Amino acid sequence: MPSISNQTAIAGIGQSEYGRNLPDSQLKLGARALKAALDDAGLQREDIDGLSIHMGWPLGLDYDRVAEAYGLNTRWAAQTWLHGRFVTSALQQAAMAVACGLANVVACVTAISFTRERQILGGPGDHEGSREDGGTHGESPSYGLTAPAGGAAIAMQRYMAMYGATSEQLAAVPIAFRKHALLSPYATMKKPLTLADHQRARMVVDPLRLFDCCLVTDGAAVAIVTTMERARDMKKKPIPIAGMQGMRSGRDEFIFAPPNLGINQQPAHSRRFTAADNEVFAMAGVGLPDIDGLYTYDAFSPLILFVLERFGYCGPGDAAEWVQNGRIELGGELPMNTSGGLLSEAHVGGWNSILEMVRQLRGEVGPRQIPNAKHLQFSTCWGDSVILGNAL
Amino acid sequence: MNTKPLPRITPDSKPFWDACKAHRLMLPTCLDCAKPHLPPGPVCPFCFSDALRWREASGRGIISTWTVVHQPWFAAFKDDLPYNVVQIELEEGPRLTASIIGAEALRVGLAVRVTFEDVSDSITLPRFRLEIE
Repeated sequence: MPSISNQTAIAGIGQSEYGRNLPDSQLKLGARALKAALDDAGLQREDIDGLSIHMGWPLGLDYDRVAEAYGLNTRWAAQTWLHGRFVTSALQQAAMAVACGLANVVACVTAISFTRERQILGGPGDHEGSREDGGTHGESPSYGLTAPAGGAAIAMQRYMAMYGATSEQLAAVPIAFRKHALLSPYATMKKPLTLADHQRARMVVDPLRLFDCCLVTDGAAVAIVTTMERARDMKKKPIPIAGMQGMRSGRDEFIFAPPNLGINQQPAHSRRFTAADNEVFAMAGVGLPDIDGLYTYDAFSPLILFVLERFGYCGPGDAAEWVQNGRIELGGELPMNTSGGLLSEAHVGGWNSILEMVRQLRGEVGPRQIPNAKHLQFSTCWGDSVILGNAL
Repeated sequence: MNTKPLPRITPDSKPFWDACKAHRLMLPTCLDCAKPHLPPGPVCPFCFSDALRWREASGRGIISTWTVVHQPWFAAFKDDLPYNVVQIELEEGPRLTASIIGAEALRVGLAVRVTFEDVSDSITLPRFRLEIE
């Protein structure tokens, strides 16, 4: 079977405004994003014959309501539910569907009104965290441990004990992304963040302070995926999907930790990961030095440390030191989340970062531009990844 | 809702909670590979065997990670704020989420021993105390 590498592409992107307590429904935000994406690609609504929905009920939109509300007539759909973990999963399913001929043009739609649904994020309204075997971020409501933040906290606490990492070191992550957000016209956060601000902010769940936790915002983002062949005839330069790999699971894994950190039932024996552990690099035909920028689902600042280790950018326990001195900032060795991510731009389920990657590879982002960006990677500490390329 | 949430019990975990009610900490243990596991599952996750038997644990372990919750997520926990939640690595290997009674400062590696708190007529939660050093 031929490789799917560079056979599919993102042909158009669009978004709504991002912000807190937006008056519009998520369906209306989604419509605005879809119209913008169709215009960007030079397509008509009738060209969309597949839908890949990242955040479905109970947080976002379901595929059938999207098709009904926007008058689409689709022949293929995929949908994941409320979690952030399915960003590249939704993108990869779209790519596979068009590569296999199950659809010609798939709209990846994420539209969320988080500020209206925030009770889902912890406490009695977090039904998923209250499930029979406990939540997937280590939630244990009978002891008062709830919310995804709790999972990131227990992982970071152990990481700090094992490697001597500190809250002051962790602050480098939200400080870097705030700098990036100040260069994004779409960003929710408009003021610089200092180390003193970070350290003074209230503790949420030890060791996570307020600015280690992402924004709760509303917004919609759409990416249109089609085959590379079709994309070449569209309005904008296509951005090829060069490599993909799926998320990892098993007893070595905890969603918000690097492998084998020792959270939940993970055996505790960390080892150095390399590009060879991650087939996304081989599929894309690149190595770590070829990646010009890294993007991740930054729901909590520790996740940035963990993804760097998982993908071999640094060794186990090294990431807290590695991110210091501007290394992950624009102009640094590996700029990350260059529009500010979930921590400072907006929480659009991570798709604000996918859109940013496309804009970077098209050279559209002015003061945020990574010079000569050729390969950008989206990866998470739970192991999934997509590498986008820069078509010649 | 002003009562603390209770664990939701499944057919796989019922023996664990029944044992807690009797103030005993029991682990599903594989008769084929001899390994205990948590959370209680339908088969041995190590060798996929169906031959599981419940065995009593020593009740001793160490704190493998911990946190202190400051956010008032649950009205029912408001009076407890800030409160700790820990993961305990039991002497037998599996880890259990619980909390520590009467601890001032927590750290990874501290030795603990199980105790039991009857929180309702039907549910008893395992909790832990620091071992006296």
